[in-house]
Amino acid sequence: MRSLLLLWSLAPLAWQLYTSLVTPEALVQGTGVEAGAYWTLENYRQVWSAEPPIWRYLLNSAVVGAATTALTLALAVPCAYGLQRQGGRLRWAVTLTLLATAIFPTVLLFLALLQLARALGLANNLLALSLPYAALCLPLAVLLLRAAFADLPPELEDAARLEGLDLPQRLRHVLLPLLAPSLASTAILVFLFSWNEYPIALTWISRPELLTLPPAIARIAGSSLFTVPYGAFAAATVLGSLPLLLIVLIFQRSIVSGLTQGAIKG
Amino acid sequence: MARTGERRRPGRSQRPAWAALVLGLLLILLPAALLARPVAAATTVRVLMPSPFVDATASLVADFNRDHPQLQVEVARGPLDTEAMSDLAIGGLLLGDTPYDLLMMDVSWTAKYAAAGWLMPLEGLLGDNALEAMVPGAREGNAFGGHLWRMPLNGDTGLLYWRTDLMAAPPGNIVELEAVARQLQAEGKVRWGYVWQGRPYVGLSCVMLEMIHAFGGQWWQPGSGRAGGQTQLDSAGAIAAADWLVHLVRTGVSPEAVADFAENEALQLFAAGDAAFLRNWPYAWREIERGGGPVVGKVGVTTVVSAPGHSSGGTLGTWGLSLLAGSPHPREAAEVIRWLTGPETQKALVLDQGYAPTWASLYEDPELKLKHPLLAVQRQALEQGPEVRPLTPLYAQLSDLLQRQVNGLLTTDGTAAGAMGKAQTQSAVLIESAAGEHTASGPLLKQAVSKSSHASGRLQAQRRQGVA
Amino acid sequence: MNPSLVNVLLMAPALVLLAIVFAWPLLDSAWLSTQASSVLTGLAPLANDGANWQRLLGDARFWQDAASTLRFAGVSVGLELGLGLAMALVLHRPGRGRGWLRALALLPWALPTTVLALGWRWIYNDPYGPLNAILKAFGMAPYGFLTTPSSTWLFTVIADVWKTTPFVALLLLAGLQSIPAELEESLVLEGASPGQILRRLTLPLLRPWISLALLFRLAQALGVFDLVQVLSRGGPAGSTESLALYAYHNAMRFLDFGYSATLVIATFLLLVLLTACGWLLLRRRPLEISR
Repeated sequence: MRSLLLLWSLAPLAWQLYTSLVTPEALVQGTGVEAGAYWTLENYRQVWSAEPPIWRYLLNSAVVGAATTALTLALAVPCAYGLQRQGGRLRWAVTLTLLATAIFPTVLLFLALLQLARALGLANNLLALSLPYAALCLPLAVLLLRAAFADLPPELEDAARLEGLDLPQRLRHVLLPLLAPSLASTAILVFLFSWNEYPIALTWISRPELLTLPPAIARIAGSSLFTVPYGAFAAATVLGSLPLLLIVLIFQRSIVSGLTQGAIKG
Repeated sequence: MARTGERRRPGRSQRPAWAALVLGLLLILLPAALLARPVAAATTVRVLMPSPFVDATASLVADFNRDHPQLQVEVARGPLDTEAMSDLAIGGLLLGDTPYDLLMMDVSWTAKYAAAGWLMPLEGLLGDNALEAMVPGAREGNAFGGHLWRMPLNGDTGLLYWRTDLMAAPPGNIVELEAVARQLQAEGKVRWGYVWQGRPYVGLSCVMLEMIHAFGGQWWQPGSGRAGGQTQLDSAGAIAAADWLVHLVRTGVSPEAVADFAENEALQLFAAGDAAFLRNWPYAWREIERGGGPVVGKVGVTTVVSAPGHSSGGTLGTWGLSLLAGSPHPREAAEVIRWLTGPETQKALVLDQGYAPTWASLYEDPELKLKHPLLAVQRQALEQGPEVRPLTPLYAQLSDLLQRQVNGLLTTDGTAAGAMGKAQTQSAVLIESAAGEHTASGPLLKQAVSKSSHASGRLQAQRRQGVA
Repeated sequence: MNPSLVNVLLMAPALVLLAIVFAWPLLDSAWLSTQASSVLTGLAPLANDGANWQRLLGDARFWQDAASTLRFAGVSVGLELGLGLAMALVLHRPGRGRGWLRALALLPWALPTTVLALGWRWIYNDPYGPLNAILKAFGMAPYGFLTTPSSTWLFTVIADVWKTTPFVALLLLAGLQSIPAELEESLVLEGASPGQILRRLTLPLLRPWISLALLFRLAQALGVFDLVQVLSRGGPAGSTESLALYAYHNAMRFLDFGYSATLVIATFLLLVLLTACGWLLLRRRPLEISR
């Protein structure tokens, strides 16, 4: 069962990796190619030196991802804390709103956000892009962090209050350190989201040198509908996936536990 | 990481995770950032073109750049697909931030782009007579609202392909075409009589435009209003056009599969020797000759045919260059337009791509005449007066709903009058919905929304006064 | 200060941003759907007496897209729930390297959809893709996976199922982890077969997670955009166009913001209706849905 699962999940990815590492001749003819002309790094060289080069997109995505993660956490932590302390109808209403926005398909927002970008001149600005991204990530982040706050023993904060720490100090020195694992898994999920987001990036960014990875890849896809040598595109997909692959593998435990814990307690 | 929460020093504990994340990203991205390279100076004109044109003009552009050190042309590779190409251009234009000076545009975009205010008029830069040396038909579809917006690079029109081995001369009208096709089918010489494009996409709109005119009708009546006119899809000619196409399918002259045919599917069937007639563009000639199939050397090309007593041209389907508003150096960009749409470039494209040229002089060029036997027919098609698709900013939507109605007609058993009546009603509603003004031929809202008819009628009247 | 007020102040910044990015767009689109706002009006709004909605009712493309979006959502979410449950059961079983297995199984979900859609387009490539290579190895002719409407639709569903099943599996895994092991052990002691345990214990207790996964995936699938935009561009002949893609085309291709807003709101209403139906159905008969 396990190997079947791995085959299902990894075979398409492995095929991309293979495609990116062989010559066009090998791709088209298969085994008929002589050994020396089979494997190559040329595809990577090509996307690395393309105009704009692929690292540009990776850099842009990393910038947006970092800004989004920082902004989301800055807003989500106080919100989650307040929500956890709050009782009654307001708590219920806010939680329900967060759930509804969490499942909402973000593509339906593109038109109004496009108008917003046009009216306020937010287009083609990577940092501005992190504003809607942060909003889109907030519901999940708040729900995860609220569950984490709920796990902390209330006596802990009471003790800190008796010692005379005010709210920002309590958060900074007592509560947040204890929340580190949840903060990390939330941050990773937010980063994943912003790395992958497509429709808003597509409408907010038009300059080639500012594209994040998903619209850049889509553009490559658009210009290549019928071209056979897919090697370069496969190389682009491999390079575009690599950072996430590393993140998922390095932080696998906190991603899985973050999502499952959040789901259980949320 | 579960242990980090138990550490004594507050504020430190989330650092390991963060440090690893940041470090990982830096390791990936830093070496990359160091590889950035400087860019050259001089005036650079940036052109966005569909992928095939980039390849077709690559060596010409390289030559130009070598000969003009002070004026460099930089070509950006757009998508292959016409609509994807438009999406890409519009994405930047809507945000008011496009990096391009010139855009390669399909003939059907002119009105929309001009109305959106994205183009700069060309007559001031290229002169009022910029198009004069072109074949008459090729001059059409480039102006809108009294300005020249676009210089055409090719003059393609719809053409009729026929089999020289099966008949002595091409049919003179659609009645002859149908009769010949039927006879050849009855004799077992071909499986199908006539193949064309029936899939619901731009190709079907081109076929319909030709057919509507072939029956003496017209799709678009230029006039007043923001849309610049209105449709006439429920006219006798338009209904007869749809009726003839569906008649071909229902009586087996055209295969039922024609409802899913784009240019290539129709071409393949004809090239395999399975059809007597084919409606397609000039490029099909080269494809057939290069394909080496059973009909090589047995194919004739002529202009599209009409119903007896009427005369229609082929649909004009051309690419051209436009100057985007906001280009920092319009004068230099206009120079590039002049060169890129000029006779030399076009000649190379004729030889390379099989596109029809627009300059009259190229139709006299001995080398081209020798290498490209289609030129005589193409000139005739352009001089005969090709059909231009509705010159309105709403063309794309109007085309879309007509395709759907006609394709629906081909695949179900409705009537042509019903389908075209629907197409007409929908077109009128569409114009009303997009223009915010009532159309003369459109259905009154009271008929559709009976409950609020009174209020909406009043509003309508008020608004019309306001607009006037 | 009043503690409740402090809480509200703490929540305010996040809620304000949510209002700007979620509530305002919906209200704005709802209003814009009653206006003409197109290239003809310079994209400025101009009341048009509900002509957008009248146009929607007669718009064959809208109905076709609505049907294909619903079909897509129904089939792919159904498959994802089934496969996701199987995947979750495998991931739940103890064994060496379980953490790695979970991470690797999660990869398709974690990578960008556009990247994977481009990858799938290559996998479906005619005639050089691996699927056609397999066909060729069995002596069959190459197949154009993305050439006819019906097969394009089918293979789009498969790509979507591949991409999002891990997410469903992860949610269901969370549910499985919340089931006390003793319950299963006691059933085993009673001599229950694995199938019986699944039916009598696991599925009933998984109900809330199945509902959550169903609601989440249904909403996302009704807004499917990235995958169809890159994999098939909505083609051939518009057969795989989703409502979201049509709304996008109306804004970005046709420059008709008024009608695009109408489509956005229509999709939103459809979404509300369906999730409400799903919610009611699940509350009553959770198990039949989950199978």
